[in-house]
Amino acid sequence: MPHWWGLLAFGAIVGLDLVSFPQMMLARPIVAGAGAGLLLGDVGAGLRLGVLFELFQYDILPVGATRYPEYGPATVIAVGAAHAFALPFGIGLATVVGLFTAMIGGISLQILRRLNTRAVTAAAPALERGDVRALYRLHFSGAARDLLRAALVTAFGLVLVAVTREFVVPALSHRGERLLSVAATGAGLAAGAAGTLRLVGLGTHLKWLAAGLVGGIVLAWMT
Amino acid sequence: MDDVKAPPRSRLAIAFLRLFTVQASWNYERLIGVGTGFAAEPLLRGLDADRYRAALGRASRYFNSHPYLSGAGAGALARAEVDGVPAEQVERLRGALAGPLGSIGDRLVWAGWLPMLSALALTGVAWGRGLTAVAWFLVVYNLGHVALRWWALRAGWNYGPRVATALQEPWMRRAGQYLGPATALAFGLALPMVVQWSGDAFRGWARITLAVAAAVAFGLLRWRPDILSGLRLGLVLVVIALIAGMLW
Repeated sequence: MPHWWGLLAFGAIVGLDLVSFPQMMLARPIVAGAGAGLLLGDVGAGLRLGVLFELFQYDILPVGATRYPEYGPATVIAVGAAHAFALPFGIGLATVVGLFTAMIGGISLQILRRLNTRAVTAAAPALERGDVRALYRLHFSGAARDLLRAALVTAFGLVLVAVTREFVVPALSHRGERLLSVAATGAGLAAGAAGTLRLVGLGTHLKWLAAGLVGGIVLAWMT
Repeated sequence: MDDVKAPPRSRLAIAFLRLFTVQASWNYERLIGVGTGFAAEPLLRGLDADRYRAALGRASRYFNSHPYLSGAGAGALARAEVDGVPAEQVERLRGALAGPLGSIGDRLVWAGWLPMLSALALTGVAWGRGLTAVAWFLVVYNLGHVALRWWALRAGWNYGPRVATALQEPWMRRAGQYLGPATALAFGLALPMVVQWSGDAFRGWARITLAVAAAVAFGLLRWRPDILSGLRLGLVLVVIALIAGMLW
């Protein structure tokens, strides 16, 4: 794949954006997907996978210390995978690779938080003394760890892309490819709809959701 | 109490920029406490050496907040230190701010501004606006994001220990009132558009299978949200489809 270094750098930046810096929503799948698509010259795949992973993202609310999968670098990897597989229905297999990367990304966030906790515990006396250098060191090393973590998650995803292209793509029939795309799209739509209903709730805002649905159906019918 | 001196604008600007990294050292022991101390540090530089170190030590203790509103905490705590508020009161202020700054931010941003604009971006993409819709999302979202961070820091510094007053400003209550319905409306608009756009790629048996798979998966997610997440269900579905696809 000719753009591995570009994807690795972009995945790392997207991963850093999620929590550490600057939280501008580059990590949102719709943005990460579009960005990766631009990088690879395949905006169509970028948008399609960006939308699909954005639907998966609706399933989670990143509040406080909750555990959640990391969909930003995962979307970058999925777009890279779709580009590398070059299959007519490559989105399904790309989603498989992306979802595994998202799972690993989520686990890596827990590990990062534990490492940060260990570093804070070790530096606690200096922090209590008001040692500004200890504070700077602790904070910058946290950001550096997160950048490294995001790069490693993206690198893991790229390895997964290479392995899948080598061993799975040749074994997949055209019908199988389509079936996989159907399953991936269906799961995304279901996750998006379930997440929407959870966020909106069954209370007073439900009527607004219903009004929007009517508008959306009309708009979909017109386009 | 000491005379109140506003920090030079450059220090306020540095504190503001540092707030973008407030979660970089997120940890289970102090949550965003270290990041808050890092952001507040420029605002404490006017203190003499002993008070500066004591205040910095307190500023980096346990603290939690929505990241975009953490400036209100950093600003208020720094202002309290500069005003010479006793340490026990500063600690009480830290404890009292964590809950409201977290819940208000979660409601306004994570459950309002962000999903509403994301849903509108999906509608735009499904409507054929492609990259323009994504760029629009990034720009509009971040106008709100950056403005909220700046407002929070200014409010924290200006109000100091009375920062809770700022959180009751009319615009905040109105934003809370309107964002809920607007988000629901945006989601309603987006879902049919995205369903149609996603389904367009399939024909015949594939389209019927897609409808059945999505409906069954949605039912499962609603039925057992305690054990099923979108990721888990997605992984199970695609792995089953992968195995079936390799055998078919």
